[in-house]
Amino acid sequence: MSMSLFFLRRLLQLIPTLAFIMVVVFVLVRLLPGDPTSAILGDRALDADVARINHDLGLDRSIPVQFVLFLKSVVTGNLGNSITLKLPVTTLIAQRLPVTVMLTLMAALMALVMAVPLAFVAALRRDEAADSAIRGAFQVGLSMPVFYLGLILLTVFGARLGWFPVGGYGDTFDQHLYHLFLPAFTLALSLAAILMRNLRAAIIGVVDAEYVVFARSKGLMPGVILLRHVLRSALISTVALFGLSIGTLLGGAVITETVFAIPGAGRLMIDSIYGRDYPVVQGMTMALAVIVSLTFFLTDVVQAWLDPRVAR
Amino acid sequence: MSLSEPVTRTERRSLGRTLRQVPRPLALGGVLIGLSLMLAAFPSTFAPYDPVAMDYNALMHPPSLAHPMGTDNFGRDVLSRVIHAYTIDMQIAFFGTIFSFTFGIFIGALVGYAGGLADTIFGRIVDAVITFPFLVLVIAIVSVLGPGLVNMYVALAVVGWVFYARIIAAEVKVQKRLDYADAGRAMGYTPVRVIFRHLLPNAITPAIVYLVTDMALAILLGSSLGYLGLGAQPPTAEWGVQIADGKNFMTTGWWISVFPGIAIVLTGLGFSLIGDGLAEVLRTRK
Repeated sequence: MSMSLFFLRRLLQLIPTLAFIMVVVFVLVRLLPGDPTSAILGDRALDADVARINHDLGLDRSIPVQFVLFLKSVVTGNLGNSITLKLPVTTLIAQRLPVTVMLTLMAALMALVMAVPLAFVAALRRDEAADSAIRGAFQVGLSMPVFYLGLILLTVFGARLGWFPVGGYGDTFDQHLYHLFLPAFTLALSLAAILMRNLRAAIIGVVDAEYVVFARSKGLMPGVILLRHVLRSALISTVALFGLSIGTLLGGAVITETVFAIPGAGRLMIDSIYGRDYPVVQGMTMALAVIVSLTFFLTDVVQAWLDPRVAR
Repeated sequence: MSLSEPVTRTERRSLGRTLRQVPRPLALGGVLIGLSLMLAAFPSTFAPYDPVAMDYNALMHPPSLAHPMGTDNFGRDVLSRVIHAYTIDMQIAFFGTIFSFTFGIFIGALVGYAGGLADTIFGRIVDAVITFPFLVLVIAIVSVLGPGLVNMYVALAVVGWVFYARIIAAEVKVQKRLDYADAGRAMGYTPVRVIFRHLLPNAITPAIVYLVTDMALAILLGSSLGYLGLGAQPPTAEWGVQIADGKNFMTTGWWISVFPGIAIVLTGLGFSLIGDGLAEVLRTRK
């Protein structure tokens, strides 16, 4: 009961967040130097054409009216057309965003696979050589920019050794996994470092807690204790951190896609910035923000499931 | 068992020399950043060559005694470029954070003290800003303003102040309920004086720790934008720009990109070690 109420309340909270995203994106676009009209027509446009396009885009109206028109077009799923690619922005988002989402999901999964076992080793062998080595390695990983790591991995494992493709996305699902392996690993490393550090501290925090000592004295197997009692409660703060990191991860995906020439949303966004293709920049910024707010929603739900006190 | 451990360690440490009391991460970070600042302040003293001078007799030379980090495709000395880039990248660490810091603590202190409606509105702003991927928002703003370092600083400040304000607001909210704040008010001091002379000095430490960590992030972000062509503009020697310059020569001249990257890692590591060390020192002092 209270759980579904929490779910509903949290779902309703999405509405103001989404509304605010629209406002920020709208303001951002109004601040653009040069107007969209000259971007579409070029510099030597006739006055009549400029007036016509201005009217078509609603740029001859007042700002509040423009905002209402903008909201209306967003709600009806019309984000305008790309200036350079001559396609509807919604079509481009539908084509490119799944690539980025898949890359991000793979990276998130890899980060968890790296972080959880290493956090356990580091926490249970606290202040020993293994702990220092793991923390040191991750500290360096955290200071490594995504584009630099990606470039090195691409050169060594792609160009030199030929184990992985040097770019592109492939055609089938298996090929996607293969093509995205190196980029996802590149992206995963810094997230793994952040999660590892947090999880290590959380495990240290609960490993001596009374209920864990009790479980141990009850004679439960160490493995069961670690998974059921320690990991579950240590994961709560890590899940929150994981959700908050999704923005960083998507930002990293923008750069990773550029380095590995992956035809995703981030790559498209960078290309659109170079090509001054504002409708695409606007649409992509909005789409990525929507993904983040949905992820926040999901992590809140997972957190409430792990720790029912959160829902109260 | 774990309770008694730190105590014995502190005792042992107090017997040693004063220098050894400094936590190791803090000391290492201090050395790294100290060296970086030295190179940033006097690049010409340490750089063997002019960073933009092209030598067509020494194109793409691998590392040697004459050119310890090799030369790039224009015959420019990579070591000299890496050293001169310290000036730019340390500047990014400073200007990429200081405006967020100043503006953030100012707003945060006011919001934390006022509470109520101001706090609610501020909470919504925080929610909205963290919804945009930081890098995506900065890139979008830079694309509006145009590429270049100054516009990058503006973009970083527009987004970054929120994080400082959140930290300070939370601290001030605690501090304003303490006795000394009441005492200040009872003395008839204006709220502005109480906030900035009394509360802020006691609330600012976590924000300073965050500032140091944020400097590491600023360098990573600044070099990323440089790599994408949205930050420092060529032929300026900046690590991200240098890595982008060398990216097409990775198989034939790895040194062009690899050495600037090492400089990024070492500097970023230095700042985050200092940040971690400071946080640890402050935690144990409490």
